[in-house]
Amino acid sequence: MKTGAYISGAGHVAFFMWMLLGGFFLSVPKPLPVQTSAVTLVTPDELAAMSQPASAPRMQQDASRPAQPVVRDAPDAARPPAAEPDARAPAAPPGGAPDRLATPAGEAAPTPVGQLPRPAPPPPPSPSPQLSPTQPGQPAQPLPENPPVDAPPDAVAVPRPAPRVAPTAAPAPPPDAVISDQPAPEAAPDRSADTRAPDSRAAAPKEAATRIVTEAEKPASAAPRASLRPVARPKRPPPPASSGAAPAATQEAPKPAEPAAPAPQQGRDGAGASVENAVAAALAAASRATPAPAAASGPPLSSAERDALRIAVQNCWNVGSLSSEALSTTVVVGVTMQRDGRPVTDSIELLSFTGGSRAAANQAFEAARRAIVRCGAKGFDLPAEKYARWQKVEMTFNPEKMRTK
Amino acid sequence: MGRIEQTKKQSKKRETRTMKLHSKAILIVAALALSACANGGRFGAANGGGADGAAGAASDPRSPAYFQQTIGDRVHFAVDQHTLTPEAIAILDKQADWLLKNPEFTAIVEGHADEQGTAAYNLALSGRRANAVIEYLVSRGVSPARLRPLPLGKERPIALCSREECYAQNRRAVTVIQAGGLS
Amino acid sequence: MRLFTALAIVLGVLMAAFAALAQGAGPLRIEITEGVIEPLPLALPDFIAENAAAEQYAQSISQVIGSDLTGTGLFREIPQKSFISTPTSFSNAVQFADWKAINAQGLVKGAVSLDADGRLVVKFRLFDVFAQAELGQGQKFTGAPASWRRMAHKVADAVYSRITGEGGYFDSRVVFVAETGQKGQRRKRLAIMDYDGANLQFLTDDSTIVLAPRISADGKRILYTSYESGFPKVYVLDIAAARKQALAIEAEALSFAPRFGPDGETVVLSLQQGANTDLYRTTVSGGTLQRLTSAPSIETAPSFSPDGRRIVFVSDRSGTPQLYIMDANGGEARRISFGKGRYGSPVWSPRGDLIAFAKQANGRFHIGVMRTDGSEERLLTASFLDEGPTWSPNGRVIMFTRESKGAQGVRALYSVDITGRNLRRVPTETGASDAAWSPLLP
Repeated sequence: MKTGAYISGAGHVAFFMWMLLGGFFLSVPKPLPVQTSAVTLVTPDELAAMSQPASAPRMQQDASRPAQPVVRDAPDAARPPAAEPDARAPAAPPGGAPDRLATPAGEAAPTPVGQLPRPAPPPPPSPSPQLSPTQPGQPAQPLPENPPVDAPPDAVAVPRPAPRVAPTAAPAPPPDAVISDQPAPEAAPDRSADTRAPDSRAAAPKEAATRIVTEAEKPASAAPRASLRPVARPKRPPPPASSGAAPAATQEAPKPAEPAAPAPQQGRDGAGASVENAVAAALAAASRATPAPAAASGPPLSSAERDALRIAVQNCWNVGSLSSEALSTTVVVGVTMQRDGRPVTDSIELLSFTGGSRAAANQAFEAARRAIVRCGAKGFDLPAEKYARWQKVEMTFNPEKMRTK
Repeated sequence: MGRIEQTKKQSKKRETRTMKLHSKAILIVAALALSACANGGRFGAANGGGADGAAGAASDPRSPAYFQQTIGDRVHFAVDQHTLTPEAIAILDKQADWLLKNPEFTAIVEGHADEQGTAAYNLALSGRRANAVIEYLVSRGVSPARLRPLPLGKERPIALCSREECYAQNRRAVTVIQAGGLS
Repeated sequence: MRLFTALAIVLGVLMAAFAALAQGAGPLRIEITEGVIEPLPLALPDFIAENAAAEQYAQSISQVIGSDLTGTGLFREIPQKSFISTPTSFSNAVQFADWKAINAQGLVKGAVSLDADGRLVVKFRLFDVFAQAELGQGQKFTGAPASWRRMAHKVADAVYSRITGEGGYFDSRVVFVAETGQKGQRRKRLAIMDYDGANLQFLTDDSTIVLAPRISADGKRILYTSYESGFPKVYVLDIAAARKQALAIEAEALSFAPRFGPDGETVVLSLQQGANTDLYRTTVSGGTLQRLTSAPSIETAPSFSPDGRRIVFVSDRSGTPQLYIMDANGGEARRISFGKGRYGSPVWSPRGDLIAFAKQANGRFHIGVMRTDGSEERLLTASFLDEGPTWSPNGRVIMFTRESKGAQGVRALYSVDITGRNLRRVPTETGASDAAWSPLLP
């Protein structure tokens, strides 16, 4: 009897001691390095825009987001859409490379963190807007320019390294195009797919990637395993009978639009009645207030118009020659615009800066000024009736995202 | 009678032929031994001094050539390691015996590394390999004054391909017998 | 209470209205966060020869300036055949419209002449085409005609730093090991050249193995490892006097991997004594040898920070070669490399902000950079064997050794921008390795 008690007591004591002191003898595992991925936030507007194929200014918005590999952007209309590898495989170009097209791993399957599910790109024949002048009517780019066949399956499709890094990717210019130093006449955005681009011989923009691709990021073997045939004509949308993947892909398109719609509704349903009323009243009052004094200057610019201006300046904002200190300096630049959309060059001034020395701010200001003057030379695309709204513009140039592009 | 004479002649011919073969063989072996000695300049003609092999026929157990060919002058290492494997120890045991029996020779122990590493680190690693060999030989009774380490990093690979079978040959320590005392 | 809430609501509404009002009348505010990275188009008309004797220099100087600037990857030279007008005189006014029409953003005008004493005079002016104004002030360089390349580099440095805001790096030299012969029996000699490969000069003959030369801050002395005694030892070479001497270290010790401190006198190096390889410091003139590490592991490949207060080095105390930082007088070392793989040949940037290194992972080598606390590790290259990085004087470009695979492998020098762009080969006549980049020459 007593021995049993002793044993039980010892066991209890041991247990308590272990609870108290056992932790000291455990080794604390070293915390794993924290991995972070860049996440791009998208407003519901942009989300809705992405799922609508047909409007020209909208396409500019999502083409400007940085995290998308080359394959999915500008060349989309000129080539079979990248998001439908399954649909494409059976309808591959004659004698084409099913090897290459059938690598979904590198393209569709693992979407990088932060990217939204890809909406199906527009079927080629419809007026498909895009920023690169390589129109669908042109002979499409030879496929080897795309991410190579044997990209490791867990990697984001790495854009091909290009001398120019821009938010919108541009494929290599066709061999007969001349990269001239004369500013090229800009391609009208609403060309239909059937007209051949008449000025394909004129200046073409340089090939651009969406980010700097270092040698360390390129897959080991950049040579395509299979020889690829250029697509002669843009792919017609696959016939509905061809595969079930096509309807599946198109179903994805309405889906992203749907989550956007229920969200605001839900907000309204969930809110309490009184709060809602107060909010509505305040909003009504505010919107009544704004048009009244601003009746002279017109309604505010829509987000599409603001984005058009932003993107126009962006395309000329060359940070390639900025020092690393200037790349950490944010500058706010003020400019006065003329009625035709051209900036008054003398009015460009540095209003304030943060993050660097005066010298670095001056460098950054010079680059900003060049951007405004270059892309404003022909006038920015701003609505004339809202001139009072954009007569004075303050642009904040924040190079943070460009530093480790 | 004629046949017996013929067979005798034939056997004599055979004997002379085999005799010739034997002497040829001896000559060839001797020539090889000498050429091995002539190759003693360790890192290129006139590159540094002091590493010339001493002559000696391979069959003479007291000669450096014997040490080099029969006993084995090199041991190999695993990747990034400078510890001695059991095979290495077996060879070093015999090297130690030879050195103890032939006290008039000193040795330079070269250390080498394969090319899979940065230059400075591989130089240090090769030095460790040489040192590991020296420490073992000293532990078997060889006087440390007779042994000097020479780290060569990845400067002198003997197998040039860039694959593991070449790398394995290059991760080595070579005991080079010197005639006379150290300079 | 009800009155109070009513007042609060009215006040809120009024404030909202006021805010909206204020916003309605203010300037349009947009934020630009994306840009492009592309070479800046520069117009570089040939320099004008102001007297006949200078003609042979004028075009060559323009060419060197053009290669310097386009070689950075940040500039693009507009082909001369697209020029609408060509400057004929240094002091004429610039027709900016002509340069704007061909999309030039910068314009360099220059002139070369030989003065009465036979010295070469090079002058230039830099214009910002969009601002229609001169950028900075015109400058003039005078010197012996034989140093025309240096003057061209100085012009390029000025243009580069005025446009980018970075210091320049073109007027600098690189000391390296020139090598010939088959793998396994390479013949090596110390050599020095301009950063772009010109003006090559050999400093030693190829009778012995030489490794890893390092140049002092004043560009006058070189530390290197040589096997001329039969064993690896560190020597100091005075370039001008063409004289070398061994560092005053005991004869039995094996020394290698030396580096100068920023004062040009201090030397940190690796010493092997017996089983141990550790870091030591001393001076060029032979001061006391101070031991910095005493771990049983390998410690090697040290590099000073630009302020001379810390040292980054390689140690395999954790089992694999990794990077550590310690105080320049020794003491506790803190590990800074944590990626998967093995690290080596660390070099501290002259700006003090980054450390370049070679990393070996998955059977490949990479040159990379990381912050001095080990964060933000970025790999810039990938190949069979990349190692031995060295920094340009402005901390923006890294030169390194790349070896090709196999029995026929050869080594060559390459350079890459720290953004990972603009990887290119440094032209050398023979194989080359182990480069060390001097600071900007005065």
